[in-house]
Amino acid sequence: MAYKQQPGVIGCAIRPLISGQDRSLEEIMYDTVQLALADANLTIEDIDGIVVASNDQFDGRAISVMMASGPVGGVDRDILSTPSASEHAFVMGALRVASGQYRTQLIVSWSPTEVSSLSEVQRLGNDPYFHRRLPLDELSAHALQAAALEADVPGLHEIAEQIAAKNRHHGEYAAPKTRPQAGTERWPITSSMTSQPVTGAVALILATPEFIAERGIVDVAWLKGMGWATEAGFIGDRELTRASALEAASQQAYAEAKIDDPANAFDVVEITDATPYTELLAYEALGLCQRDQWGAQVGAGKFQRDGALPVNPSGGVLTHNPVFCTGLVRITEVANQVRGRAGDHQIDNVRCGLAHAASGFAMQYQSAVVFGREQGMSA
Amino acid sequence: MKQERVGIIGIGQSAFTAQRDDASYPDLVREAVVLAMADAKLDLEQVEGIVYSLSPDAMVGIGNAERLGVDAVGARNKRFLRINTGGATGISSVISAYYHVASGACDVVLTAGADKVGECGDSQTVLNKIWDPTYERQLPLGTINMLAMSAVRYMEKYGMTEEDMAYVTVKNRRHASLNPNAHLRKLVSVEDVLSSRCISWPVKLMDCCPQSSGGAAMVLASERYIRENHLDAVWITGLAHCAETYWLGDRMASSVEADHADAFALGRAFDRAYRMAGIDDPKTQIDVAELYAPFSNTEFHSIEAARLCGLGEAPKLVRQGYFELGGKVPVNPSGGTLCTNAIAVTAMVRAAEVALQVWGRAGGHQAAGAKRGVASGNGGDHQIFGTMVIEA
Repeated sequence: MAYKQQPGVIGCAIRPLISGQDRSLEEIMYDTVQLALADANLTIEDIDGIVVASNDQFDGRAISVMMASGPVGGVDRDILSTPSASEHAFVMGALRVASGQYRTQLIVSWSPTEVSSLSEVQRLGNDPYFHRRLPLDELSAHALQAAALEADVPGLHEIAEQIAAKNRHHGEYAAPKTRPQAGTERWPITSSMTSQPVTGAVALILATPEFIAERGIVDVAWLKGMGWATEAGFIGDRELTRASALEAASQQAYAEAKIDDPANAFDVVEITDATPYTELLAYEALGLCQRDQWGAQVGAGKFQRDGALPVNPSGGVLTHNPVFCTGLVRITEVANQVRGRAGDHQIDNVRCGLAHAASGFAMQYQSAVVFGREQGMSA
Repeated sequence: MKQERVGIIGIGQSAFTAQRDDASYPDLVREAVVLAMADAKLDLEQVEGIVYSLSPDAMVGIGNAERLGVDAVGARNKRFLRINTGGATGISSVISAYYHVASGACDVVLTAGADKVGECGDSQTVLNKIWDPTYERQLPLGTINMLAMSAVRYMEKYGMTEEDMAYVTVKNRRHASLNPNAHLRKLVSVEDVLSSRCISWPVKLMDCCPQSSGGAAMVLASERYIRENHLDAVWITGLAHCAETYWLGDRMASSVEADHADAFALGRAFDRAYRMAGIDDPKTQIDVAELYAPFSNTEFHSIEAARLCGLGEAPKLVRQGYFELGGKVPVNPSGGTLCTNAIAVTAMVRAAEVALQVWGRAGGHQAAGAKRGVASGNGGDHQIFGTMVIEA
């Protein structure tokens, strides 16, 4: 790995379910940033730069970073926005810290649910001439992918149900007061395999080793490796039963972290389970479990929170589905696990963790992030 | 430890125009990418990461329209993300590409984008949606009347006249007439500008930028890669961002930070970039500037924010030819944003044009002997600013 400086996560705030109408979106952003700053024992004066990620159509604003600059502390400060994905804000913040030209970066993303129809908003992402008139929202794209996978892997539907049950069980443990509303059915995805979108926000703070040492910060999730990649924009150009971009992203991350046996490298994993089918596809692309072993390993409980490789101890997207920022939530969850600050769903003795983030139609954008407890590049 | 430099090795841009019936949105992106890759003498296989430059989706009419540009930039299974800081997006994308290289993550990075502002219907209708839905949209605010208010305040504070504004247009149209990629290339007189239709007083039609269609792309690489592959390059030596408050009403005080006549945060962004580049006297150390100024009046406070003259001095110096090609510090020798504005890439073109100038490759609008230049981009409601120093 050739990063000039190794970034470390020193503060996190995960708010995957914000209910009630008493706080405006600006106040939600402000509250979230203040929680992350408090977690790192910093003030906004310690922040050199900010990267935010939001979706203009979800927010109902043509350039949503504009409104955000005040609540997240961007006035008279360096602020940037990555509207492609929440996880891309993490990537840009990490690159800026890794350059050695910034000491700290604040990363923030949010996802409101006030638009009249998230499905209609997502359909605006199709080209206007050929595909927009199709009912092609993100759930439909996931369903196409799930159907393609079911045709390829016998017995897959039952394995997917087991994955959903696992994540629901984890969610009951991690967020006992949360009762996620069942999602919308779209064959072969059943309503129990997804949950309804909720409003959420997430923030984290990255810093250089020098800053971390100077402040005497000990609970650090060190970035060991990071990869991000995209598939083609047109879903008809893709092989939906494979996640080639995630294979590329994980290769980037593992090369940086010097991981050659990913199936045995991690103590905890968070995967963007937009559906249980995408979780399974990610197992394979991340090198955690090949498809011919899905049934056996899932059935044996390997990915349960008390299994050999706990996956989604937070309960995943099935428990909390703040649509646009689910990717950054996964990254922040793993950072907290490595820092020993994951609360009720903390896994014991986490030394190394993997976060998978994905977004877009049938997971067009894919990212993999490896964190470790010890400073230094090797995981 | 000496920081390894990041170089610009390839540039591509469209010949900008009002309408491109022959090219779809991805076609325009591809057009610029092909030109930039040929300029860099590299293949897309050698590109390790792509930063996609796209400001409001609403201008293209497609949500997350960058997804449709993936193949145009050759990004399948490669690092890819999009930047949006409004009008500053183009320079923010170059800055983000810089950090892909400066971090050590990549050796070769492509940044590219395009816009079809001329075909979006009415850009002001779209841009009204950048404001707060409850308080400001109904006024109705647009980017023209927003900056007309800045002009009124600048007039009151520094004595600028409508004729002063017209001189900026005359200068930039003269420059654009020498640039084959500029959109508005017809020479105009002060009288032409003054007699053009009033849009939002004191801004008249010829004080305004056009709605342009076209693409731009740049290839950046690490100093090691450039050296090992014997490539030609110019160097990014300073860069920065800075933002102001979102709320226009909070910029109408007389304090330094909140005076709509000036551009406080833009000045801070220039100061930060100059500090990084080791520049302490921009008036004598900058040879050429491409400053994002979509309306004639905004070029004055951009010049002043770039510390190329004192506050309130720019109108007089423009009249004296100080910022003309052949003058002391040519400002917007390409014709600038006032003559070409394909919003998603306008600020990238500012950086690309400075790179061409210090490279000595600007053709008919070359500033003689330019070795060090500065570029800027303004985004949002004149709120988010990016700056960059580029040297031969």
